[in-house]
Amino acid sequence: MKLKDKGLSALAIAAGIVFLSPVLYSIWMSFQTAQSYYTGGFEPTLGNYATAIGQYNFARYLFNSLLVSGLVTIAGLAVATTAAFAFARFDFKGRDLLFGLVVATLMIPSHITLIPNYLTLARAGLLDTYAGLVLPAISNGFAAFFLRQYIRGIPKALDEAAYMDGATPLQVLWRVIVPISRPAIFSMGLYIFLGEWNNYIWPLVAVGKQDLYTLQLGLARLYSINPGEGLIDWPLVMAASTITILPVLFGFFLVERHLVRGITMGAVK
Amino acid sequence: MSAVDLIDIRKSYANGSPVLHGLSMQIQAGEFIVIVGPSGCGKSTLLRLIAGLERADSGEIRIGEQRANDLPPQHRDIAMIFQNYALYPHMSVRENIAFGLELRGMAKAERNARADSVAHTLQLTPYLDRKPAALSGGQRQRVAMGRAMARETSIFLMDEPLSNLDNALRIAMRTEIKELHRQLGATMVYVTHDQTEALSLADRIAVMKDGHLLQFDTPEAIYDRPAHRFVAGFLGAPPMNFLPSERVPGALGGKEITIGLRPEHLKVRTGEPQGKGLPVRILLSEMTGATVILHCESDAGRLTLNCARSEVPPPSAALWVEYDLSKALYFDAAGRLVNLS
Repeated sequence: MKLKDKGLSALAIAAGIVFLSPVLYSIWMSFQTAQSYYTGGFEPTLGNYATAIGQYNFARYLFNSLLVSGLVTIAGLAVATTAAFAFARFDFKGRDLLFGLVVATLMIPSHITLIPNYLTLARAGLLDTYAGLVLPAISNGFAAFFLRQYIRGIPKALDEAAYMDGATPLQVLWRVIVPISRPAIFSMGLYIFLGEWNNYIWPLVAVGKQDLYTLQLGLARLYSINPGEGLIDWPLVMAASTITILPVLFGFFLVERHLVRGITMGAVK
Repeated sequence: MSAVDLIDIRKSYANGSPVLHGLSMQIQAGEFIVIVGPSGCGKSTLLRLIAGLERADSGEIRIGEQRANDLPPQHRDIAMIFQNYALYPHMSVRENIAFGLELRGMAKAERNARADSVAHTLQLTPYLDRKPAALSGGQRQRVAMGRAMARETSIFLMDEPLSNLDNALRIAMRTEIKELHRQLGATMVYVTHDQTEALSLADRIAVMKDGHLLQFDTPEAIYDRPAHRFVAGFLGAPPMNFLPSERVPGALGGKEITIGLRPEHLKVRTGEPQGKGLPVRILLSEMTGATVILHCESDAGRLTLNCARSEVPPPSAALWVEYDLSKALYFDAAGRLVNLS
């Protein structure tokens, strides 16, 4: 290894440590008692995890977050991919105007749609339901825009070859476009999943029942639980944060292979 | 019965510029038809209309007994080989070949057996589990052919399938395509801008220019009796020589007439020939192997001819080009062949 490469590696490791240190510190903190944290000692315990899961319902919140983020990701990708395919491949009247409107939605801050969405769901009787958490997040203008750009880069001859082979438009989408677009779809899936996983405002507005809380709402609730006067139980909060982070990290490692492989796979001329 | 009938087909691009101007063509079952013409003449558009990948503005497309204008490609039962092969990059060679069969609901064992058999015919057996990215250009071309063959359709469309191959491979694949046509007995419609491919492969050639069908006939007829000056100039290498008839001694016709002389009907002489001839000066010579192409200048205009290497005259000699007027063709001002003999 050359000196320059060694230097770069050392720099990369140092940068990695800097980025990871708050996460590692919070994980370390989650294994000590509140008392030892505030008195300066270290008393290892798994009690914070047991408390978060047993006493504060974090297993349920985790399930809710996984369910809501998973559904939003799957449904969001299905809608965005289909829309992207239509925008990229079909000539229909008003296509460009419609696509312009989809792109224009990217310029609307999400907070502006908060009240209209709330009123719509209230009228539909979907507040305090999983559907209320999922439905407003399904349409994703950015995902449609991103995937449309990616699909436009796939040679149209591949679609045409599939049509000649006897495929219907949906089969072309499912059997040809989707497998080739896998890297883009996985990237977008990760983006949608993380966005929904970290979503705090909408669940806060749409959900009142604790049984429907997501992890972010559950975490926020922990700030109001004091072990003593005016003190936040940081080790408990960090244990809950770790529960919040780990599934995402695990999910990332699962799809990373597809993301990397996808980048190197191109359509053959 | 015709395999494909094109009746007064018109097609314009979205911006309104016309591509095909009322083109009609009748293709018989089992024929090998080559559509040839320069870039932008509408030949690929015509193929795509037959395939159903484009819609005609007017006219009628009949496939077999059926009017096909409104039939989507997947219902026309036509196989097509694309210029860039269009192999599915995420599928193996076997999957590429069997994909069309899978879409038609054929059982896996049966379709794999057929894919293996097609691969065997095309010498692709060792590559069945490879992805297209791991194949050479020639192998990809074979996979594209295999994909079409596996379907066992009666009509094959080929859009410049050899244009991405090097010369040696192109010649080898040309022979294979011809052999394949003989074996399958299917109707093949082949688009190319390569006149050698057209002449060597076709039962009949359709020569197109600017969206018009100039001539549709056998290679021999097209070469020997081109209906239009463009056809005469497009087919043949080196191309036919065109000179104003009035400036060529012994030629028929008047001011408006152009005489066409094939290079192989000209002979270079180191002295005034006994027959008809023109004094010339050699501008350039091109060695092509067995023969040399001589580019000459005469009072009537430029001439190109083939000459055996042993007969190339010395540079200092006074040269003449002798021509055989019985083989000359005459074209009017509009480029149409005229019979003056």
